[in-house]
Amino acid sequence: MNRADVLGPVRPEKAPPSGRRSRRSATLVTGCVLAGLIALLALVSLFWLPYPADDTSGGRLAGPGDGHLLGTDKLGRDLFTQVMTGSRIAVEAGLGSVIVAAVLGVTLGVLAAFAQGWLDDTLAAFLDILIAFPTLLLAMLIVAARSATLGSAVLAIGLAQSAVVARLVRVLVKRVLAQDYITAARTSGTSWPRTVAGHVLPNIWPTLVVNLALQFGLAVLAEAGLSYLGLGAPPPNASWGRMLQEAQATFTTAPAGALAPGILLVLLVIGVNLIADGLRDTLDPATRGRRA
Amino acid sequence: MRINKTFLYGTATAATLALTATACGGSGSGGSASGGAWDKNATVNIGSLYEPQNLDNTAGGGQGVTEALNGNVYEGLFKLTDEGKVEKLLAEDYKVGDDGLTYTFTLRDGVKFHSGKQLTSQDVKYSLEKVIADDSQSARKSNLAVIKDIATPDARTVKVTLSKKSISFVYNLSYVWVINSQAKNLKTTEDGTGPYTLAKWTRGSALSLDRFPGYWGDAANNKRVVFHYYKDATALNNALLTNAVDVVTSEQSPDALDQFKNNQNYKVTDGNSTTKLLLAFNDKAKPFTDVKVRQAVSSAIDDKKLLESVWGGYGKLIGSMVPPSDPWYEDLTKVNAYDPARAKTLLAEAGYGKGFSFTLDTPNYDPHPTAATFIKSELAKVGITVRINTITPDEWYTKVYKNHDFTATLQEHVNDRDLVWYGNPDFYWGYDDKQVTQWVEQAEEASTTAEQTELLKKVNRKTAEDAASDWLYLYPQIVVASSKLSGYPVNGLNSQFHAYDIKKKG
Repeated sequence: MNRADVLGPVRPEKAPPSGRRSRRSATLVTGCVLAGLIALLALVSLFWLPYPADDTSGGRLAGPGDGHLLGTDKLGRDLFTQVMTGSRIAVEAGLGSVIVAAVLGVTLGVLAAFAQGWLDDTLAAFLDILIAFPTLLLAMLIVAARSATLGSAVLAIGLAQSAVVARLVRVLVKRVLAQDYITAARTSGTSWPRTVAGHVLPNIWPTLVVNLALQFGLAVLAEAGLSYLGLGAPPPNASWGRMLQEAQATFTTAPAGALAPGILLVLLVIGVNLIADGLRDTLDPATRGRRA
Repeated sequence: MRINKTFLYGTATAATLALTATACGGSGSGGSASGGAWDKNATVNIGSLYEPQNLDNTAGGGQGVTEALNGNVYEGLFKLTDEGKVEKLLAEDYKVGDDGLTYTFTLRDGVKFHSGKQLTSQDVKYSLEKVIADDSQSARKSNLAVIKDIATPDARTVKVTLSKKSISFVYNLSYVWVINSQAKNLKTTEDGTGPYTLAKWTRGSALSLDRFPGYWGDAANNKRVVFHYYKDATALNNALLTNAVDVVTSEQSPDALDQFKNNQNYKVTDGNSTTKLLLAFNDKAKPFTDVKVRQAVSSAIDDKKLLESVWGGYGKLIGSMVPPSDPWYEDLTKVNAYDPARAKTLLAEAGYGKGFSFTLDTPNYDPHPTAATFIKSELAKVGITVRINTITPDEWYTKVYKNHDFTATLQEHVNDRDLVWYGNPDFYWGYDDKQVTQWVEQAEEASTTAEQTELLKKVNRKTAEDAASDWLYLYPQIVVASSKLSGYPVNGLNSQFHAYDIKKKG
């Protein structure tokens, strides 16, 4: 079977121009380098930090240098240490949310695709409502019901994103189910679960993976936003969002406190988006054909 | 939201929570009227973070109501000056009976409401009854509950009988607005006797006051006052930098001050405040039932370093609930002072030699998360593990304040003379000392202020020694104003901001 079956009419596959191919891989490589850098920081922070996380010996708002690469915050804590811890929280938030979104979203999306008649309409409407529901409000509800932890934030973001994933999966699966080979598989006696596992999922994963990569970037931003509002990882965890919030008042006198987490946040999100872009070009023949 | 009395009567609102700033106390005045002619018809633009919820101070309008209207639009029988003194205002004279239970007030003659009606004793009676009514959310409701009877023998005489002696009665009256008894819709309009009338209130943006031509006293030094409301401190400072406002009622971060301090176009004043940051233990919850544990925690935290971290060089250390502007102040910073070695010894004596862990319910807005982080780091050094649980102001109100479901928490307490809350064993922190309760009751029924002061000093010392709470520091009260301005209040007493003395150069 042809993967192009997944998205609409089959197009004749043209070989892309060679320059296009290299630009495509350049996107992917740049993305991997940027995101990899942050991932490396996060990984190292598990084993080594320049200063203990709660060491307040640095002096108030010390500038960069003098034993502190990026300087210190109001309480005298090393900023580089915090930025490293923050990168770990960002990666955890991104991965956690995407896993929640993927598991829930795919399950819900596949079920919705199989639903018929009024149930189908109801599910579609439900997903639309969930998408329209602000992530922030959802997060506040969850935080109120549980407490402000990274887990609550991840759950809220994952839930909100699962609706987006589910809607996409529903459309993708519906298209696959309309294909002749599904009818053939069913006629030959393959059960629905086996059909889904063997024929449907393999045909939707390229689009799905690209979407999940995009969701990862959005989840990192959402977690920073929640932490900025005090709804994410509780202090003293140095989430980038919290660091930005704390540095806001001192931005004019000690800009490093806001610049460091801000720049890393941008780098990670750009990196992940570039990866998504590169993956789409590489994995998705439909867009490859169109954009070439 | 900070703990102020308004809040304590269940009027917590989202808008008062953010970066609340109020304070009160002390001395000084906003810059002397230096040379140059000032404009008698100037418009003074005031920048503030506290927009009122409504314009009625018995209906939970928040601290913004006091800031904009107290003394400007509404007046009481007495007023609290920026120096913390109680002076006669609408009361021309008053007498206290020998039993200390009857107060006879003579009203000033020729006072008119903005609507034109003459002030009579009926209006005063109405105003007092409004504050103590069942549905009143006034800050002073419980303080004025001692009122047994209000009589009006003639149009200019009000006779109040108390059920028991209350030495703070006159002081508390400075918070009671005298309102026209025939006024309607006090939530969006007004009818007071003050030097200004309400011109316009644009919700979410500004509230303007115009000079009242029929004012009984000296006319205001400016023609119009506009309170501009901002959501965050940065926007507020920018407004000051671009001359959109002439004065900021209360700065919330020391770091924004440099841009004003080194600029001759601005004046920065460091006034007295009564706002205290508390690490409040639940004295009825283990392990804080043990005095030694509370003393140990108090000794383990370097308050000086925390104050320096949050406020740069501003603010003061206090060793108790009492700020220097309260009459019963004593320097108790040496009681349970910073001494980690002592903390460890005390912990061992209390049976917590190996330390313990507890949850610190932390309001999710500044400066609480910063303070919580610092406390966690300090207590780790003596073997105590702190779990920080961030909560919203609403959660704080329900979980901590109403249900007492907490082990320890952080909170700002803004009011002056609020030491007396330690005399209430049912207050959220659960401090229960029979002797202290008795002293507080006796102090309120004292015949002289000297006697009251002496008793409250005892309360102060006892609560400090018991480490009833850990009083981390006293906030500064920083006002930044254009150098064209003079005569503005610098102490922001209990959120008041009297605007009538402000002079603006042309």
